[in-house]
Amino acid sequence: MERFVIIGAGAAGITAAKTLRAFRPQDVITVLSTDEQVHSRCMLHKFLGHERTAEGINFVPADFFEKNDIYHISGQTVTGIDTAAKTVSYGEGYSVPYDKLLIAAGSAFFIPPIPHFREAPNVFGFRDLSDALKIDAAFAGGKRVFIVGSGLVGLDAASALCRRGAQVTIAEMAPRVMPLQTDGYAASVYQKVFEDHGCRFLLGIGASDAVVDGEGNITEVILSTGEHVPCDFIIMAAGVRPRIQLAQAAGIRAERAIEVDDHLRTSAPDVYAAGDCTGLSGVWPDAMAQGKAAAENMAGVGTVYEKPYPFKNTSNFFGVTMLSVGRLDQTEGADVIVHRTPKEYKKAIVKDGKLTGYLSLGDISNSGLYLHLIKNGVDVSGKLDRIFRLTFADFYGINEKNGEYVYTV
Amino acid sequence: MKRIFIDPAKCDGCKNCTIACMASHADMTPRRGSLDELRQAVYALDLTDPAVQSRNRILSDGQGGYKPIFCRHCDVPDCAGTCMSGALEKNLETGLVEYNEDKCAACYMCVMNCRYGVPAISPDRKRIIKCDFCAHLEEGPACVRACPKKAIEVREV
Repeated sequence: MERFVIIGAGAAGITAAKTLRAFRPQDVITVLSTDEQVHSRCMLHKFLGHERTAEGINFVPADFFEKNDIYHISGQTVTGIDTAAKTVSYGEGYSVPYDKLLIAAGSAFFIPPIPHFREAPNVFGFRDLSDALKIDAAFAGGKRVFIVGSGLVGLDAASALCRRGAQVTIAEMAPRVMPLQTDGYAASVYQKVFEDHGCRFLLGIGASDAVVDGEGNITEVILSTGEHVPCDFIIMAAGVRPRIQLAQAAGIRAERAIEVDDHLRTSAPDVYAAGDCTGLSGVWPDAMAQGKAAAENMAGVGTVYEKPYPFKNTSNFFGVTMLSVGRLDQTEGADVIVHRTPKEYKKAIVKDGKLTGYLSLGDISNSGLYLHLIKNGVDVSGKLDRIFRLTFADFYGINEKNGEYVYTV
Repeated sequence: MKRIFIDPAKCDGCKNCTIACMASHADMTPRRGSLDELRQAVYALDLTDPAVQSRNRILSDGQGGYKPIFCRHCDVPDCAGTCMSGALEKNLETGLVEYNEDKCAACYMCVMNCRYGVPAISPDRKRIIKCDFCAHLEEGPACVRACPKKAIEVREV
């Protein structure tokens, strides 16, 4: 009987636990998490916006651990890994032995070195339920919110708080909102819908200093322009960093992220890593795929994990939906094709007969194949005249044996 | 485990399956769903209502042939494998990829990740539109029974 231990109960950790159980009905599986309860960080805004309870943003059934016979040690933070003795210590001096260990510790929000920001008690991240609870409590004391960063996390927080009548100011260093996913036009559409809901954007502007009160709380953010913006609290959404401290302290190779090979093994024997802490990708689907692949390898299946294609996302703010795949900013030597109607906006970047970027704003139904075409570098040179109307019919094939589809190119 | 098998060579593009799918899902109350019932439902359909959506699509290949696009309820589903809310789950007993609308957060990861472009989004942007094998109909998927050419049929896999 083998003992599997998983650190982290996010997308990678939970998927790994589920996968391990499928391969190993009898073995012992333990999941350790700082989080009290399992939740999807992609739904955190639903909690903060009071649309759902904490239970409502759980992405597994309430009886997941019980039904799968998995130990969940929740609300306990791992304090160390001993790769020689093969134990994980947590909480107030407890430890659990492992035969195979998965580190799926995720990433932590990053606070840039702006004076007062790192020390102020009213500066919050927006990554975990505990962050959302802190913001919720702060919101009871004042509704002027300053958000640093207008990526998906910043806008998630903004949409939730706008719904509750907050006065939101968002500072973005880039000249447009959601700079990684949008182009100028798509960004302007999102900017407008947020402004219509009461948000104010400061684009191309950063926070450079702050005014604090006697307790160190930031009461005014001083912008790079010199302007002072009064606020009750601050949300940091200016990027994340893989959580590597545990691995580093245990002597596992990790410089910016935990290093893994193509089987998601770390430099320590029988220790694997998956999800954000590997630095391979920062999106939910890839974390799930890594959790699955790592678990399969822990179970001895021998799965090669292929490098993910991380440039992909969808967003849905106030009913404005967008799909964004590939590198929209890399247009040198490429054809840029744009289609725009009052209801839709689409853009395709084509280089050497292959799609390298695709943006769709509006009805994004049935557009999943564009990710496949970009990720796999499928040739579309004969189809440029209908680049926005491509469907699986253009690559249609059927596996006669099981009736599934296959791509034929 | 069942799957709707497709023989594109038999499809003549009549779209009876598409209309049957719309009619089946316009009223999701559990019922027998006989062919007669479905025929009646077709005439009660408001085709101008954007909420009347089909879960299948029949696409012309431009050369007189047709390519039916139906959810495969894949063995390894891209949609359920990327769902961040737990709304999409592969049921290992029935083989179906089931969708729980109440759990769905309308993030549309599934739309982006289904390589065959099957999931659609609802006009209110609050859920997805995806084949449920007509779970509310005793007699099974409406599309299959509506096909006059037997281009689609339910088979065990």
